[in-house]
Amino acid sequence: MTEQVEVDLSSFSPKGDVLVIAEHILGELQPVTLELLGAGRILSDKMERKLKCLVMGYNLGDIPQKLVEYGADEVYVADHEELEKYRTLPYRRVVCDFLETQSEPPHTCLLGSTTTGRDLAPRIAAHFDTGLTADCTELDIGPYEHKSKVDPTKIGLYPNCLYAIRPSFGESLKARILGPWKNPQMATTRPGVMTPLKPDSKRKGKIEKITVNLKPEDHRLVVVETVREIAKGVKLTEADVIVAGGYGLGTADGFDVLKDLAATFENSALGASRKVVDLGWIPYQHQVGQTGKTVRPKLYIACGISGAIQHRVGMSKSGTIIAINKDPDSPIFKFAHHGIVGDIYQIIPEMIKQFKEIQSGRGVKEVVGSH
Amino acid sequence: MSGSLNIFVLVKQVPDQGSKAGLNPDGTIDRAKAKRMLNPFDRYALQAALHAKKCYGGRVTAISMGPPPAVEVLLETLEHGVDEAFLLSDRRLAASDTLATAYALFRTVSYVGKPDLVFCGLQTTDGDTAQVGPQLAERMGLPQITYCEDFSIENNKVHGRRIIEGGYQKVVSEMPLLVTVANSYHPLEYKSFRGAWKVQRLARNEEELKKFIHTIDLDIVKADPDRTGLKGSPTIVAATEKVGELGGSCKMHEGQSVETLVQSVIKESQLEQFFVA
Repeated sequence: MTEQVEVDLSSFSPKGDVLVIAEHILGELQPVTLELLGAGRILSDKMERKLKCLVMGYNLGDIPQKLVEYGADEVYVADHEELEKYRTLPYRRVVCDFLETQSEPPHTCLLGSTTTGRDLAPRIAAHFDTGLTADCTELDIGPYEHKSKVDPTKIGLYPNCLYAIRPSFGESLKARILGPWKNPQMATTRPGVMTPLKPDSKRKGKIEKITVNLKPEDHRLVVVETVREIAKGVKLTEADVIVAGGYGLGTADGFDVLKDLAATFENSALGASRKVVDLGWIPYQHQVGQTGKTVRPKLYIACGISGAIQHRVGMSKSGTIIAINKDPDSPIFKFAHHGIVGDIYQIIPEMIKQFKEIQSGRGVKEVVGSH
Repeated sequence: MSGSLNIFVLVKQVPDQGSKAGLNPDGTIDRAKAKRMLNPFDRYALQAALHAKKCYGGRVTAISMGPPPAVEVLLETLEHGVDEAFLLSDRRLAASDTLATAYALFRTVSYVGKPDLVFCGLQTTDGDTAQVGPQLAERMGLPQITYCEDFSIENNKVHGRRIIEGGYQKVVSEMPLLVTVANSYHPLEYKSFRGAWKVQRLARNEEELKKFIHTIDLDIVKADPDRTGLKGSPTIVAATEKVGELGGSCKMHEGQSVETLVQSVIKESQLEQFFVA
């Protein structure tokens, strides 16, 4: 019964603030941190708690001030040479030490679903034996009554629970995941999903340095080099036009056709569904959706993509969505703006042909004239 | 290399999402009816483990947790050249979340031995969390390389390359180490002739099979049942809801020919504005 301490209701405290763990790459604050502050602000206001933010790095400059401007009430700064580049163990040490020195653990602890957040958050959750929900698309605070008798110590009415909401396995369900028995209740959210506050340079907040005590075993892994490949093509998240392919392409070579289509657009990039990334048709970096990137281009052309919720959450905020699929019952036609039922390999070459005609000024009259 | 490597690879059997079998009308999955497969991400982990053995010597042990049919994916790993496999199977594990799963796997790994390298897939296709690998590393007190897309071993240290947003990091780590392998790593090679032959032989002889695939339970690995299953899981799925229909205002384009169809789309979606000047 030694393990039961953590679920004993008498030790359950509905107190605690909301904590956001900030993320930056080489001093460049990641947008997801500002989004988390926006989401965290709503949660903390709802519970009338404070919004805290922990930032780790070296020579952080005006980053702590920026975190206040974006909504944090208190910013805790771990500034140390060894924290310049993200590494699991030193960052894990700082977060765990920080949480252990708090008289009250935070109610909620939020990180981004990035390669950093997804690396760090599970370590923190495992260390504190607390719950963690990955890749949330919505967060909220609300009551929950636990009635299941499997574990009688968990039965009760919990007034303030973190609702961590994410698309679940299958086509069209979302799951509300809760863990009110232990604080902090942890979640990661996908970049691009939450809305940041407008920065307010007049906002006042407390900025406090915290001490960093790393141990020799925290240095078992070292970072030799950090390379950012910004120059290599248009970044998926910054493209105006995305041409995306799914299993309906039938073959990896289908992406050659999509590449030709993408080339007719300014500032365009190739996207993909997870299924085809799993199959190795195109690298992971092109994946759009729940476990890939969240994008909101001006134009999204989905070719042979069925539009399962995992894909939809990554692209539904695109300006114009055009879907081409041979199955008229595909879910994608429920949320695309323009739909074509048909064979990709007939439609896309025709699109490219007509686009080129329009671009070269020829054929414009015919297109207009046909109506 | 001094000595040979003790390499573990963790694999999971997941429902095949490509097949419609077992899909309930409401979108949930009926795991009993669904077709099963090796988690696609684990194929990269398996390739990494076999690559490490081939290049640096050693032994690969596959570990899985799941109901008895999960033996199928362990047989598959043997066909690819894994030396030995363990399946943790116990009714008390039902409804484990990632934390409870990581604990059960931690007990299993500790029972099986002392690995130099533990390879996991980046995530599973049925849970999508990418949490179990790092949570296991935390339980084991190991450093980790997540999102690893390539690695080599020099002077007893692992040189790895991991994906970060818009780029990559090169890292060097001591062993023992846990690695989660991204799907930009090399795809799994074909089954080895020897492996396939061995599995064929084992399939005919249950006694012989038991020497290569060991089915174990929570008592054998000395796991506290209260830390597994529903009881050991700090999170629960409190509710699922149908996602509301979005928009429903999709303009379906029809046309006599592909040509007129495309003309209609170009005009109505005002595509000209996006073209290369």
